[in-house]
Amino acid sequence: MEVIRLENVEKTYSDNGVPVHALRGIDLRITQGEFTVIAGPSGSGKTTLLNIMGALDRASKGKVFLEKESIGEKSRDEISAFRLEKLGFVFQAYNLIPVLTAMENVEFTMMLLGIDEKQRRDRAREVLRELDIEELANKRPNEMSGGQQQRVAVARAIVNNPSIILADEPTANLDSATGANLLDLMEKMNRDHNLTFIFSSHDRQVIDRARRLIILKDGLIAEDRNGSAEA
Amino acid sequence: MLHTDAPGNTRQNGRWSSIVLIVKMLLTVAWRNLLRNRRRSVIVFISIVVGITAVMFNDGLSIGMISQMLENSIGSHVSHIQIHAKGFNDNRVIQNNMATPSEVENVLRDTPGIAHWSPRVVSFGLLSSALNSSGGVIVGVDPEREQDVTTIRRSIVEGSYLTGAPREVVIARRLADKLQVGLGDKVVGMASALSGDVGSDLFRVTGIFETVSSEFDKAYMFTSIDNARSMLELEDRVLEYAVIVRDINEVEDIAASLRSKLGDEYEVLTYIDLLPILVSQVDMYQSMMYVVYLIIALAMIFGIINTMLMSVFERIQEFGVLMAIGMRVRRIFLMVLLEAGMLGVLGTAVGLLLGSGLLLLFSHIGIDFSIFSEGLTSFGVGAVIYPRLTPDTILNVLIIIPLTTVLGAVYPAVRAMRLQPVAAIRYV
Repeated sequence: MEVIRLENVEKTYSDNGVPVHALRGIDLRITQGEFTVIAGPSGSGKTTLLNIMGALDRASKGKVFLEKESIGEKSRDEISAFRLEKLGFVFQAYNLIPVLTAMENVEFTMMLLGIDEKQRRDRAREVLRELDIEELANKRPNEMSGGQQQRVAVARAIVNNPSIILADEPTANLDSATGANLLDLMEKMNRDHNLTFIFSSHDRQVIDRARRLIILKDGLIAEDRNGSAEA
Repeated sequence: MLHTDAPGNTRQNGRWSSIVLIVKMLLTVAWRNLLRNRRRSVIVFISIVVGITAVMFNDGLSIGMISQMLENSIGSHVSHIQIHAKGFNDNRVIQNNMATPSEVENVLRDTPGIAHWSPRVVSFGLLSSALNSSGGVIVGVDPEREQDVTTIRRSIVEGSYLTGAPREVVIARRLADKLQVGLGDKVVGMASALSGDVGSDLFRVTGIFETVSSEFDKAYMFTSIDNARSMLELEDRVLEYAVIVRDINEVEDIAASLRSKLGDEYEVLTYIDLLPILVSQVDMYQSMMYVVYLIIALAMIFGIINTMLMSVFERIQEFGVLMAIGMRVRRIFLMVLLEAGMLGVLGTAVGLLLGSGLLLLFSHIGIDFSIFSEGLTSFGVGAVIYPRLTPDTILNVLIIIPLTTVLGAVYPAVRAMRLQPVAAIRYV
């Protein structure tokens, strides 16, 4: 099933009045259950592409469909609701809410959905258990290691059962062993629950695990191949 | 299984319970954000508490001072209601007298709400001693009745109050000083008599009184009503009835009732009619208090804007993440307002307790402004001011301060709301 479709997407920024063409016409389809990595050199447009797929940024031109809905015409609130229900994000710098515990960080998006406390607690605990970080439930981000924080961030991303998880350089701040563990976990989520993962990364170990690898160069797809992980 | 009871498959709350849930969540986050930078929060909190305490104290002190001015004027001479023959207040001549006082006294006895009343003969004339003379007011009173209407008896500082004996007078301290008389000394009073001739009599000082009003104390001398009548050839006529009502809030109703019973031959004036400048001063002070509130509110608003802007700029990345995970900008706006609102409510609660406590304490013990006593007595206040805590002060603080803190957070909240998630997440 198609979860993301991009049709001739362009993105142009203005850098002190000088137009910068970050994306120059991207056509792309992502289907349910993919484990895709967008790679490319710095400035190739991979984060911009990820942001547009995550409805965090709007395309300057072209159309973006998430779960077959065009997001171009949606209001800011509608896009927020869409992100809340359909998308999960994992950021390079973890970006947990520092004043909340791990459990509360995971519960937070469920609270935004208006789910009652007992269901929230049960569900958050279940996800933390699945990610093997239940013992961190009452710790705040500053009491956790980077790897632990990133696991909590993954828990937060998947707890609302989204269709797509977008991960922007998720291993960039982790040592290779921790990064590998995190990727093991994400692969397991992908395998066990058919969750769609899209990464933006230039980390070799992330690229090596890609089942679909999209390489960007100068805002264009230079290469789109399946089976990198198996290769 | 991870997905069997995932949110997508579970029941979500109704609209109102969702709102309650979200407000609860926002309050939790807002509270923890306040604790995040404790030093800054404590500084803002203290500034709110100090601001409230100061404004309450200023308010209470002003109200206390005005009330004392008003009460002192009422207590020393004016009373709540005065009854005269028609035209006396505009033309205070002895010819404007009440010829049938029993008629008025019957009405006073029959009118509910009246606590005390006293007949008076009031005359403006010349007072002379062996060493000096001065213009002054000679007031003839019924000593028994007058002590329930005015504070003169309680204000005696030397000698004794009137007994009703012939030719005795009690004289105000400053007037006595000017005339250079003491207890037992003679004072001659001269004033126009009813016939148009100059009536005069020799009095002997039996008491000296001192009130908190230097102006009053420069002019007034009291004697028994019979002495005054005799000097002014008034027989049993009366120039003024001073009335004290049981409840000052009913003074207008009682005055209206007296007017309707007494008819057009009399004028019935309340202290509001008799002390128009003082009453307008009360209004002016109240208006001034709103200006003080406005100044405090403005200072507070800029403090809150500064603090909340710092707080927002420190958390730009966090706001970006909140937006990315699906938090609506309205809720981010609300979260910033709640943070400021919490500080405002807490500051108001503590400031109100502290301000009320101080006002209640000083309303009992008073504040001694002896070093300004000369100025204060000229306003009829007295050297010791007793601040007052009024429901209006509490209500003003309860409404204005939390509202101000929330208003101060609007601009920072709008700044947070306008952030673009992508730029905010990348913000360093």
